[in-house]
Parts: sequence; structure tokens; C-alpha cells
Amino acid sequence: MKIPFGSIEHSQAGFEALVRLYADTKECLLEDIEIDMAGTRWLDADMCAAFGAILYRLGSTLNTLRLTNIPSPVETILSKNGFLGSYGRKTIPDTWGTTIPYQRFNVRDDRYFAGYIENEFVRRSEMTRMSVGLLKKFRESVFEIFSNAVVHSQTLLGIFSCGQYFPKRNRLDFSVADLGIGICENVRRNVGLDLGPEQAIDWATQGRNTTKRGPIPGGLGLKLLTEFINLNGGRIQIVSDAGYWRLDKGQAHTARLGGPFPGTVVNIEIDTSDTRSYALSSELSHSDVF
Amino acid sequence: MSQGIGLSMFEIVGSPLCVASDDGQKVYERIAAALKEGRSVTLSFLNVTGLTSAFLNAAIGQLYGSFTEEQIRSMLKVEDIQTDDLALLKRVVETAKQYFRNPKRFERVVREALGE
Repeated sequence: MKIPFGSIEHSQAGFEALVRLYADTKECLLEDIEIDMAGTRWLDADMCAAFGAILYRLGSTLNTLRLTNIPSPVETILSKNGFLGSYGRKTIPDTWGTTIPYQRFNVRDDRYFAGYIENEFVRRSEMTRMSVGLLKKFRESVFEIFSNAVVHSQTLLGIFSCGQYFPKRNRLDFSVADLGIGICENVRRNVGLDLGPEQAIDWATQGRNTTKRGPIPGGLGLKLLTEFINLNGGRIQIVSDAGYWRLDKGQAHTARLGGPFPGTVVNIEIDTSDTRSYALSSELSHSDVF
Repeated sequence: MSQGIGLSMFEIVGSPLCVASDDGQKVYERIAAALKEGRSVTLSFLNVTGLTSAFLNAAIGQLYGSFTEEQIRSMLKVEDIQTDDLALLKRVVETAKQYFRNPKRFERVVREALGE
């Protein structure tokens, strides 16, 4: 089976292309699948998280995957961030230190994920261009995204992440993808609401809504994330099942994709030139917190 | 009067990154055990450099399912916490109070606690 694969941008169109790939291959079992990337002129590196999740799922059904005819600039990016290491290519050093490597985690790897963010990103000298407050908020945000996948996804195949820093454009993209049950199914099972996939994402980002049940409360992670992205002037995109949700400059936008993604992807884009301190001048005192 | 105890999150978690819900559960178990014994607790955030709402929900938020607000307010104190982390903790506490006000969730928590 040979599948042509085009450019993948960090956008709704990029996700449409990925769900098409999933639709074309989801029934494959014990097949030889060639993904012909001759038409892939650009691939936003953080989208490797969602792309890798789809490919990993295909591997789990014992398919043999080959990525062929990759244009040289794309091959260089995907070798530097370690993505092609899983598909028969050698990884090459990232001399500019702007990649957050592609990696797969298990659901109990919270600490390992935190160490990966610290070592592969926060402690690197290139990050001195970002303010201390922004770096802390970014770090907290990606921990929240990962925790969300751990707590809600019920994924058996893992959690995938990848990021890219563009110092000249003052932009940092980061994505986390899981192969879990998705937000829509989670809302249906735990809250009993039968919403469309894009409506379910919107519901999960609102007010105190949460699908959490049991002794540990929840319902804050996505709100904290959206508040930060709004303050920063960045963008967040969430894809779950066939739902697409984007928050850009404070405005939410939803759409129905042409097919489902087999889990959830959260992808953030932050403005790294933001010099806001994020240190709250709160009047909170230790005595009135409870 | 019974003596209060001090708990270090850094010591319980074994890391400055308090991000995992499972690690929060360990903190919860220590606090809950002390409160059940009628001991007041001072929880130190010294050397903690990363926090998530998932961790704090498990460590502190779930206390509101087992103890009254008055008990928690009078017996639990925090120290060495940065201002923005204190603001996050306050959000977690407010969310937890709201969460346990939902009777359906609360009944389920009680049923689970009783093993029903």
C-alpha cells in the first residue's frame, strides 16, 4: 500500500491531512505501508507528535512502515528532532538547540516527562531569550497538558510530544498527542452529555466543567492553559475525535474535521518575546488560602 | 494540646517537580493521616520548582472530600510557597470546594470510600 503525503502545517489543514492518513490506514493489519513524502514540502516539527501517534498505532497492528522520498530540508528537521530515528534513519545533532525532541511516553511517565522538558528545553542556554516568568508559565502549561492526557485519555499506547522553537520569529510550538478515548467519549461516559466532538472540546474548556469523578477533583488544567495563552497572545489548538477547536487572540473557533483522530492532540503556540512577568501581585495571604 | 507536624513536599515527592497525580496522592495520604489523628500540619513548599493542578488536586483538593472546610482551615498551613504557586493552590482549593458541593459526585465519593 502506497500513500502520498503532503505538507503538514501547524493548522486545521495540517490536522485534516493527518486524519486523512488515519482514515486511509486504520484498517491495515500486517501490511507493508509506504508513506510517500515526495510532496511534503514542509512539516511543522511539533506536528510530529500527532503524526507519530498515528504511525505508532499502525505499528501496533504489526504493519511495516516506510517513509520514502522525504525532501532533504524536511528530512534534516525530522532527523534533528529524533522522529526519523524510529523509521530507519540516524538522528543528527541539533546544533542550534531549537528542537524539543520527539518522544513517546507511557501514562505513568509524568516525572520522566517533567525531566525531559527540564533537560531538553528549560535548562538550555538558547532559552535565555525567554523571560524567567514566561519560561515558568510555559513549563507549567506543558505539564498541565501532559497531566490532562494522563488523567483523562485512558491511552494504552502512550503519549507523544514534540516541539520547535523559532528564535527569529519569537515563536515556540509544542504538541502533546495521545491515543486515548477522546474528549467527546469522555464527556459522554462521565457526564452523560451527548455532544458533537467539537462541542465536547468547547464544553471541556468552559467554566468549572470537568469529566472527573471520584475522590480527586479536577477541571482546572485546560482553563489555566487557555488563560495563559490568552495573556501571552499565543494560540492553542485541540483536536479530539473529529473535533477541532482553536483559541486565537481570545476568540474560540470550532470545526468538524473530515474524519476522526484516534485520540486527542493539544498544540500550543506561544509568543516568546512576551516580557510580562507573570508574577502575580496577588493580595493572597497564606492564612486565607483554605 | 497535641503537637503539629511539618511535612516537606520536596521530601515526600523526592523531586522539585511536583507534577504527577500519583505523587500528589502520597502527600494527601500523609496529610490525611495526620489530620485524622487530630494533628495540625504545616506543609512546606521549599525547593519545589514545578507544580500542576493535577498534583495539587490529588494532594490537597481531595482533602475537601474527607474533611470539613473548618477542619482544613484550622489544621493545615502552608509555608515557603511562591506567590504564583499560592495563587494556583487557591484556585485548586476553590475548584475542590465547588466539586464536592455537587451531591452526585459526593455520594459517589462516599460510596467509593465505603467500598460499595
